Amino acid sequence: MTRITLGSAVLRGTVATALMASLMSTSALGAPPVDLSKWSPEYVRSIAGTQDFDTAADCAKVTPLDYKGRLTFWYQGVFEGDPDLLRQYYKDFFETFRKTYPNIQLEEQALTYNDLLDKFRTALLGNAAPMAVRLQILGGTEFASKGYLEPLKPEDVGYSTDDFWPGAMKAVTWEGVSYGIPTNNETMAFIWNADIFKRAGLDPDKAPATWDDVVKYSKQIHDKLGIAGYGLVARKNAGNTPYRFMPQLWAYGGGVFDEATANPTYEQVNLDSPQSKAALQASYDMYVRDKSVPVSALTNQQADNQPLFLAGQLGMMISHPSDYDVMLDLQKKATGADKDKAQTVIDNMRYGLIPTGPDGKRAVVFGGSNIHILKPEYVEGGKVDEPAAKAIICMWTSPEWSLKMAYAGSNPGNLNGFKTKWMKERLDNIKFLDVTTSMLPYGIPFPALPQAPEIMNIIVPDMLQNALTGAMTVDEAADDAAKRVRDLMGGL
Amino acid sequence: MMQPVGPEKIRFVQKKQRHATVTIVTCKAEARRRLQPGRSGVLGKIWKHRADYAYVLPAIAVMLVVIAYPIYYTIELSFFKTPPGLQLRDKTFIGFDNYATILTSELFWRVTWNTLVWTLGSTLIAFVLGFATALALHREFVGRSLLRAILIIPWVISAVAASYIWKWIYHSDFGIIGAVLVGLGLADRPPNFIDSVSTVLPSLIVVNIWREFPFAMIMMMAGLQTVPEQLLRAARVDGASAWQRFWHVTFPHLRNVSTVTILLLAVANFNSFIIPWIMTGGGPSNASHIWITHIYELAFGRQRWGVASAYSVLLFLTLMTLGYFYVRALSGNERQEGSP
Repeated sequence: MTRITLGSAVLRGTVATALMASLMSTSALGAPPVDLSKWSPEYVRSIAGTQDFDTAADCAKVTPLDYKGRLTFWYQGVFEGDPDLLRQYYKDFFETFRKTYPNIQLEEQALTYNDLLDKFRTALLGNAAPMAVRLQILGGTEFASKGYLEPLKPEDVGYSTDDFWPGAMKAVTWEGVSYGIPTNNETMAFIWNADIFKRAGLDPDKAPATWDDVVKYSKQIHDKLGIAGYGLVARKNAGNTPYRFMPQLWAYGGGVFDEATANPTYEQVNLDSPQSKAALQASYDMYVRDKSVPVSALTNQQADNQPLFLAGQLGMMISHPSDYDVMLDLQKKATGADKDKAQTVIDNMRYGLIPTGPDGKRAVVFGGSNIHILKPEYVEGGKVDEPAAKAIICMWTSPEWSLKMAYAGSNPGNLNGFKTKWMKERLDNIKFLDVTTSMLPYGIPFPALPQAPEIMNIIVPDMLQNALTGAMTVDEAADDAAKRVRDLMGGL
Repeated sequence: MMQPVGPEKIRFVQKKQRHATVTIVTCKAEARRRLQPGRSGVLGKIWKHRADYAYVLPAIAVMLVVIAYPIYYTIELSFFKTPPGLQLRDKTFIGFDNYATILTSELFWRVTWNTLVWTLGSTLIAFVLGFATALALHREFVGRSLLRAILIIPWVISAVAASYIWKWIYHSDFGIIGAVLVGLGLADRPPNFIDSVSTVLPSLIVVNIWREFPFAMIMMMAGLQTVPEQLLRAARVDGASAWQRFWHVTFPHLRNVSTVTILLLAVANFNSFIIPWIMTGGGPSNASHIWITHIYELAFGRQRWGVASAYSVLLFLTLMTLGYFYVRALSGNERQEGSP
């Protein structure tokens, strides 16, 4: 059933190969370890488990295994919305690193997505940053452009630039120089509850084809069943908001700039374009006109949508494949009748491609994380142990660990990860993984600009909140957001 | 005939002797001061109390590092432009432009209004509620100690934990209040507490009052212990009603402790960050932004360090004004206690 949806959608998505090419820099077209032009669930299955890698041996070439040193390291770690499976892999990684490099004294600190940027910025102001940091994809250019990061490319830790998604490499490149290495890359998918669809009179095996359908389906679910249709998220300062609204904005043909085009220049602000306003209008229609989405959308994150979905109170949402595992974890904690109810929801959980816009355009945020080395003058103590930093970077971005650390919810930053035996195991164990890997070619990276975090975490959510609360009309909210982006780009 | 010398008379003489001793010491110090040329006025006073200053020097040194320098640096930074795309060291001097930017911003006045509503609403209601509870608990009754302990719980709970709990209590789809109201048939759908621009601030104020009223209660209970019981008894004998006894005897004795409590609550509320930030992040649509959360967003979310510093200076001046009244109220207390 999901396969039918997928198959047809993947066919329709052939056009998106062109978009995928936009993710590739010229150099990246050289000899990537996987053929991105053939990308499909079938192709991913065909290459899984075809190559073995010895991580310790590979990293020993970068930093000898008996190297003695000390490393401070901050990373965007697991949070409340992640499955237990991922927690275990994070634990395993640090245990393995300590065993592989027993003489490196590692002082690691995990921070959540929403806290990391604030804390890291503050630490930089006081020259108290860690030696190495793993940041969300949005942060790379901000810190590179300000001169906080050391140049760092995959070749520095024993890999090739071609081993990584070209679009991800763009996010760590500033003025032609690479300042980091992608650890994982992800695209989300559309999730729905087939039982709710059926009870609402919708085809339970078919995801809404377009965003207009999402609006329609959401209303139908709400009107017939009295529950929320679509899991809209519009909280400010939360990464979940742009990850869910930008696919909608791009699908309608809008954008903050021209980031959805093959060769973005980021010169023209498009938030006030008719297409962008149409996307905002769709959110307005669901929240204000139809009241078909959770009222709590303005203060919610995706972690708040998960229990709503599990309780059978939400029909559709956008998320990772890991949400299936999260549902299983939550279901284990439920008791009595709630447990059975949760099981029914899990049995009826379906994944599909994210809907298209009116012109058939499909888009999703090309997300992920990068790992960086700081310049010594911004680090506590004024020294960076580069071999120790490279050791952990080599390990995290290896085919093995970049796959394992993205096991349930994301995809390996190192494309060789798709060839490992763990990828094969993952395809068998993680339900719906095919869907999110199918979405990868539709991925659009956030604008590779230092201003991107403010735009995505503050201006775009503000625009949504202004429109959805009635503080401004849809037109006013879009115009206001566009003006703020222009002011920001003008240095105000 | 000789008058018998009672214990009171003896105490009086001892007291007088003590005063005399103090006078002698003071005269000696004065004589020393006069003998040392060039040490007059403030310097002379400092020299005279040099031992005292030596004792407080470590504390002053710490305060200079952790309080005075950040204040100086914030004031300095408030005169610089710090574009988000640059490092802080690349700042440029722009005089009072940051202050002008703030004062001409429509959002500033909206946030200021929110701050006033938040501070006054939280402070006054928490005080009145705390005072009323203190009066109720001042009487002897069975279970008074237990009730007092229960009422202190909101104050001792971590503000972070309380914010998350209240967020779920208020949740517009899954909240306990909404479920109860819908369950009892009092509402068709859960009320919207924190996702609406019109109800978010009052909803947050309720949480803040819930957290703060035990503090007011404790302060006022302490104050009530100081009201002389014989005065209340005398007033009762004179036929004063309960209200008259409260208004003419109890309340005048609590004036100073009330002032101090209100000022402490007001300062805490001006600076109150945790509840609004965790529950709403200042939203929706800036409807629950108060000065402190707005400053945080400007600095750490938008990296406008200069503007955020200017904002902080304004907040600092406001709090210093409140601090001045607080110190004055304390001095009033001391004068009153020290007066014959």
